[in-house]
Amino acid sequence: MNETNPTPPQIPPNMPPPIASAPPISSYAPKPLGENPEERVPITSPIQAIEAILRQPRRVMYQLRQPGAGALMLYLMIIAILCAGVYGVIVGTFAGHDQLWIAPVKVAGGMLFSALICLPSLYIFACLSGSQARLAEIFGLVMGMLMLTTILLIGFAPVAWLFSQSTESPNWMGTLHLIFWFIAAIFGLRFVSNAFSHSHAKSNAGFNTWVVIFMLVVVQMTTALRPIVGTPPIAGATNTKEPFFPTTKKFFLSYWGDCLNVDSERSDRTR
Amino acid sequence: MHAESLNPRFVSTFLRADARTFHEWVLRRESQLIGFCVLAIIVGAGTYGAAMGTWSAPVQALYAGIKLPLVILLTTAGNGLLNGMLAPLLGLNASFRQSLLVVLMTFAIASLILGALSPVALFVVWNTPPLTAGTHETSPEYGFLQLTLAVFVAYAGIVGNMRLLPMLAQWTANISVARRVLFAWLAVNLFLGSQICWVLRPFIWDPNGPPRFIGREYLHGSFFETVFEALRRLLF
Repeated sequence: MNETNPTPPQIPPNMPPPIASAPPISSYAPKPLGENPEERVPITSPIQAIEAILRQPRRVMYQLRQPGAGALMLYLMIIAILCAGVYGVIVGTFAGHDQLWIAPVKVAGGMLFSALICLPSLYIFACLSGSQARLAEIFGLVMGMLMLTTILLIGFAPVAWLFSQSTESPNWMGTLHLIFWFIAAIFGLRFVSNAFSHSHAKSNAGFNTWVVIFMLVVVQMTTALRPIVGTPPIAGATNTKEPFFPTTKKFFLSYWGDCLNVDSERSDRTR
Repeated sequence: MHAESLNPRFVSTFLRADARTFHEWVLRRESQLIGFCVLAIIVGAGTYGAAMGTWSAPVQALYAGIKLPLVILLTTAGNGLLNGMLAPLLGLNASFRQSLLVVLMTFAIASLILGALSPVALFVVWNTPPLTAGTHETSPEYGFLQLTLAVFVAYAGIVGNMRLLPMLAQWTANISVARRVLFAWLAVNLFLGSQICWVLRPFIWDPNGPPRFIGREYLHGSFFETVFEALRRLLF
C-alpha cells in the first residue's frame, strides 16, 4: 500500500512559455492626441485651419480640446460656410439667373442646419458610447467635418462646373452633386470617427447610427430646400420664376421617383 | 535634373528612371521637370492626335494634334486642387505642387508612349478604308479606327500609371496607401478627362460636316449621360 515515492522526481512546473513576439495591448490603441509636439502648435488663422485639417487632422482634434478653442471653431464654421457658398454658386451656374444666389444660400444654409439639428443626437450617442468629449468639442468636430467636406467640394468644383455647362438634365446634375457630396462627406465623417476613437468611446455603434441619421437628414434637406439645382433657361421661352421654398412636402425617395419619371418622359418624347 | 536635361536625350533618362529617381526629382521641385512634362505632353500626345485626325482631313489632323494635349493639360489643371487634397487625406504626404507634378509625370509617360505609337497609329489609319460620302457613324471602318486608337490611349494610360505606383509606394512606405492614392487620382482624372474629351470632340472625324476645332454640339449633354441613356434604352 505504501508505494508512494517520498521524493518525487524534479519535474519543472508546467509554465506557459513567454510570448516574445506579442506586442503590448497598448500598441493597438491610437496614439494619444498631443503626443507629437507639432499637434500642440496652436491654430491661429483660417489658412492654418485648412492646412491642418488636410495634413494634420490630429492637430485640429487636439486643439479642439484645449481651452479657448472657440476661435478655432469659429474659423471652421466660417470656412465651411464660405466654401459651401462657393460650391453653391457652381451649383447655381446650371440654371443661372436667380439660382446664382439662391443655390449658395440653400447649400450653405442647408448644410449648417443639417449639422446643427444632428448635433444633439451625436452628443447623446457619444455619451452613451462612453466618450468623454464635451458638447463644445463635438460641436467643433462637426464644424471640422463640415469644413473638410466643403473644402473637398471646392476641389470638385471645376468638374461640376464643366458638367453644369454641358448637360441640360437637372436630374443628372443633381445626381452628380450628390455623388460629389457623398465622397466628400466620407472624408468628413472619417475625421469625426478618428476623433471619436480618441475620446475613450467603448463602441462605435452609436456613431455609426448617427452617420446614417446625418446622411438621411442631408438628403432629405436637399428635397426640403428644392429646387437647388434649378432648371436651365429654355431658349425662346419665358422662364417662370422658381419658388424659394417648395410648396408641397415630400419624402426624398418620392421626389427622386417623380424626377426620374419626368426625365424619362422627356427623353421618350425627344426620341 | 538640370536645364540641359530638356534635350531629347533626357527622354530616355526619364523613361528609364526608377522609383527612387522619380521621387528625388519630385522632392527637388525643379521647374524644369514641369517644363519637360508639359513639352512631352504637347509633343507626344500632339503627334498621336495628328495621326488620328489624318483619316478625315489635314485640318482635322491639326485640330486633333492641338486638342489631345489640351485635354491632358486641362484635366491636370482642373483636377489639380482635388488631387492635391486627396493625397494627404489618403495618406500621402505631398504638397499641391508635388501632387500636380506627379500627375503631370504620369501623363508625360503616357504621352511619350502615345508619341511612340503614332507611326503605328498612322499605319492603322493608312490601312483603314478611306472616308467616303457613304461613311457614317456606324460604319465598320470608323468603329475599327475608334476602337484601335482608343486601345492605344488606354494602354498608354495604364502603363503611365503603373510606372507611378512604385514611386508612390516608396514615398508612402505603404503599398496599400499608394494604391489608394493612385486609384483616386486615376478615377477623378478619368472622370474629368472623359467629359473634356466629350466637349472637345471630334478627334477623328465630324460626321455632321467639315472639320471644325470644336463640334457644333460641344456643350450639349455629357459623356456619362449619353452612356447612361444608351444603357437605359438597351435595358428598359
